[in-house]
Amino acid sequence: MKNIKYYACPSKVKEALSLLLNKRYKAMALAGGTLVSKTLPDSVETYLDLKNLPIKDIRLQGGNLVIGAGATFDEIDRSRLCRTWAGGSIAAAAAACSTQLIRNMATIGGNIARPHSFNIFPVVLLALDAKVRLQTGKGAKLIDFQDLYTSGLGLRPGLDSLITEAIIPAKTRNWKCEFIKLARTASSWESYITLFFSAEKKGKSVTQARAAVGALSPRPFRAPEAEKAMLSGEGAAAAAAFAAELEAARAGEYRCAAASNLLKRFMEGKI
Amino acid sequence: MKNSLLAADKGFFGISAAVNGEKKELSVRNAESLLDALRRHGWKGAKKGCDTGDCGSCAVLLNGKPVLGCLVPAVAAHGGEITTIEGLGSVHNPHPLQQAFVEAGAVQCGFCIPGMILSSKYLLDRIPDPTEAEIRKALDGNLCRCTGYVKQVEAVKNAAKRLKSRG
Repeated sequence: MKNIKYYACPSKVKEALSLLLNKRYKAMALAGGTLVSKTLPDSVETYLDLKNLPIKDIRLQGGNLVIGAGATFDEIDRSRLCRTWAGGSIAAAAAACSTQLIRNMATIGGNIARPHSFNIFPVVLLALDAKVRLQTGKGAKLIDFQDLYTSGLGLRPGLDSLITEAIIPAKTRNWKCEFIKLARTASSWESYITLFFSAEKKGKSVTQARAAVGALSPRPFRAPEAEKAMLSGEGAAAAAAFAAELEAARAGEYRCAAASNLLKRFMEGKI
Repeated sequence: MKNSLLAADKGFFGISAAVNGEKKELSVRNAESLLDALRRHGWKGAKKGCDTGDCGSCAVLLNGKPVLGCLVPAVAAHGGEITTIEGLGSVHNPHPLQQAFVEAGAVQCGFCIPGMILSSKYLLDRIPDPTEAEIRKALDGNLCRCTGYVKQVEAVKNAAKRLKSRG
């Protein structure tokens, strides 16, 4: 931050965006600041603090769960909506992030603004078919979360656009989901692997399945073969397919064994 | 636009903030953390441990919420309310949490205690009668290398009782 010449803490999204887009200021947005406050590039001259923007709500809208980008992990953890949505997996994921002091500061917007392998919410949002609302110089854009990190988007959130909310579709409200973080300690930010499983059963058949993986690569990914096998309802088959996909992603023996066993146990209703 | 911008002068920002209830005008370096700025201005209760947001010894309350002073840019405290351990109580008039930590023998080297007490205060402000799990969760970012956390948990429980009886 040695080259910072200006500090701004606007209360309107429009004002924040206009500052971000004004090349004279060379601004960068910081939300909670826990990831980037120590590593702000030297080229940045204006520290754009987003804490006063009205983007902190966690609410129901049109049946969807809308989480404002400025909501902290602690607020998500304590939100009644997040504690009940998708089996409470969203709140559980927030609670699994690092320590209480970090959870008081870090926001979901900051967590997804740029990919990092240990970030928790990219895995959750990918698995839940979430969308993200971005404010850009050309107005608001609603995009699928999975497209956020693709170069085709042509945007760099925090530098030329702002993420204002994550939208989790209504269909996921009653999904049976499980978020799991395997790490050295419960409060370690660095995890060996993060997993998000979901399986919706109707009678004996599984009607939808999700197996998303984080911490192995900068971007989280879904395991399509494992998801296909999950639809058969066979835990062992799903675990085998999952292990093969993780191996292909160079997960290493421990992660492959642990993650596939966890998926098997999830399918058997043991976790 | 210009009105909402705070400009640095020769690498320093002039910020105003309420520190422990008193309004202060502080000069802070553009690359300085809130922790470094507070210590440079004489509030040395917040400790510099890891400087990477891992140990929690730098915790202070910013607008009532515990944050890691080493990760918050000092300029971001502009217009805010900061509470350090010095603002909670004194040797002669300790806060019930401070008293409880002493009485329970929760303090050994003491380096982590300011942060731990401020994290505990936020917990008790929100949950006056916390469970042990809630206490441990609230303190999971405050590392203590001397103890096994048993006495600190006991101290928070005792402080909760004391605060409750005071109404």
